Amino acid sequence: MNTSLFIVIAAALAMGSATGQAADKSAGEALFADACAQCHGPNGKGMASFPSLSGRDAEYITSRLETYRAGEKVGSNSFLMIPNATDLSDDDIANLAAFIAESAE
Amino acid sequence: MSPKTTLRPLCAAIASAVIVGFPAVTTANEPELSQTEVLTGLENPWDMAFLPDGTMFYTERCLGLSVRLPDGEVEHLLGMEGTEEYATTADDLVCEGQAGMNGVAIDPDFDENRTVYVYSASNMSEPRTNRVLRMTVNSDFTQVSDRTDIVEDIPYKPAATDHPFGDAGAHNGGRIRFSPEDGYLYVTTGDNHNSEIPQSPKLLGGKVLRIDQDGKAAEGNESPEGFDPRIYTYGHRNVQGITFHPTTGQPIVTEHGPWHSDEINALVNGGNSGWDPKPNMAGRGDCPDDYCGYEPNQTEGMDPKERAAYMPVTDTETYPDAMQPAWQNDGLSQGISSAEFLVGEQWGDWDGRLVVGFMGIGFGGTPVGQRINLIDIAEDGLSVNDVAKMPVPMGAARFRSLVLGPEGDLYTAVDEGSIYRITPE
Ligand code: HEC
Repeated sequence: MNTSLFIVIAAALAMGSATGQAADKSAGEALFADACAQCHGPNGKGMASFPSLSGRDAEYITSRLETYRAGEKVGSNSFLMIPNATDLSDDDIANLAAFIAESAE
Repeated sequence: MSPKTTLRPLCAAIASAVIVGFPAVTTANEPELSQTEVLTGLENPWDMAFLPDGTMFYTERCLGLSVRLPDGEVEHLLGMEGTEEYATTADDLVCEGQAGMNGVAIDPDFDENRTVYVYSASNMSEPRTNRVLRMTVNSDFTQVSDRTDIVEDIPYKPAATDHPFGDAGAHNGGRIRFSPEDGYLYVTTGDNHNSEIPQSPKLLGGKVLRIDQDGKAAEGNESPEGFDPRIYTYGHRNVQGITFHPTTGQPIVTEHGPWHSDEINALVNGGNSGWDPKPNMAGRGDCPDDYCGYEPNQTEGMDPKERAAYMPVTDTETYPDAMQPAWQNDGLSQGISSAEFLVGEQWGDWDGRLVVGFMGIGFGGTPVGQRINLIDIAEDGLSVNDVAKMPVPMGAARFRSLVLGPEGDLYTAVDEGSIYRITPE
């Protein structure tokens, strides 16, 4: 994992656990910009071989991210996605899902 | 060459010191860059081509060909299957995976013939192919007409296979450029994840073609006996960039590497680039769907050097006369796409530098690598003297296309959906 991702995740974790509240969209936004946007695009609308996340609800995104985190294949390019989910915490996933479901264009 | 000697953070630091007014300790003259967003909200913009007055033709991979006029007005000229709001819609033009409408080029005699060209996937023949379309643009840039497909038989990957990015339409090449030197149209193609194609004397994938405005073979193409005469070079993997040295006219291509070794190559007329991903040769056994292009291991990270030894991009053992790459991205594969030369005094020390765009991948421990590189390439194109990262204002993006505008600014199309203009100050 790269250091900046680690820092963002650590920050997200700290926020999530400190408040113990529902998903933190702004933490999700920061993590998305740092760790996801390079493939899925800044607004999650997808680019080139990387799927659009727009129109997906939080439940769908959560279940996909949990599947990838478990190292399970979904489509033919899962090998590219799995390493990006391996180190996500439950809070990260909740935060990302909340952000993506609301913001992806 | 190690990354230490090729990157120049010190020079960049010195240059910025000069700009803020410290005593000059060097004659370094590197411009500050500013950027303008020319167009945004595009869908996978793929290529651009300019007229002297700034008129910009551009393609979007699944939409088609449009033109932006100097006053900023945009006209949608040729739409693909399922599009609306284009002056003409051609239902045979299709997009899937990496394929769709790719390169665009303007005829060198545009003033007289108002002709433009695009490279696009089409379902007019069965199976689908890539074609080079020639069209006439009307005087107010609102319509194209007289479509003639000057090349109809560039292979297209018809169905998904068991490979990374293995969907239909993969490894589709697609850049088209006229050489200012010889006036011919160069067309870059890809191997379709099909191991027969790159070394095939007849199939036009994994090649660079050199043709005239009617699609006929250029005079003087020297590919071997029995080859399709349109072939200028062969044995390529997936060439998405081509440009010409500003003083020598030497054609230079960028070629995607297979989890290792993106390449820059100076083309030699009739030359073999040495890519041959066939199974059961060069020490290999069977491979998934008969294509060894990502072996020995498709989906797990491993040392790029081990990969390069097992499945070289330029196999000089099998093909001792193969064209030698000028540069191999320090052994990494990071989505090398487009290439262009910076020309003009406004670029200072970068006048004459090759710029190369990387879209980034980030597979198996390789850094993602989204960037534009500034490369000091030898005049003959056979070696590089220096490689640096261009400090562009937009930071990281999937740099798909780099084209010099008529005023000498650098334009880049990024997969995120924008076309930027980068101006040296
Ligand atoms: C290296 C590029 C890359 C990065 C970085 C990346 N993804 Fe992905 N993502 C992919 C690819 C490729 C797929 C499709 C995988 C497949 O075929 O199963 C995918 C699939 C997904 C899907 C499922 C989409 C669907 O339609 O089912 C979700 C959700 C997702 N990614 C979210 C994320 C999030 C959140 C991040 C950041 C933590 C992220 N991705 C980072 C490449 C990437």
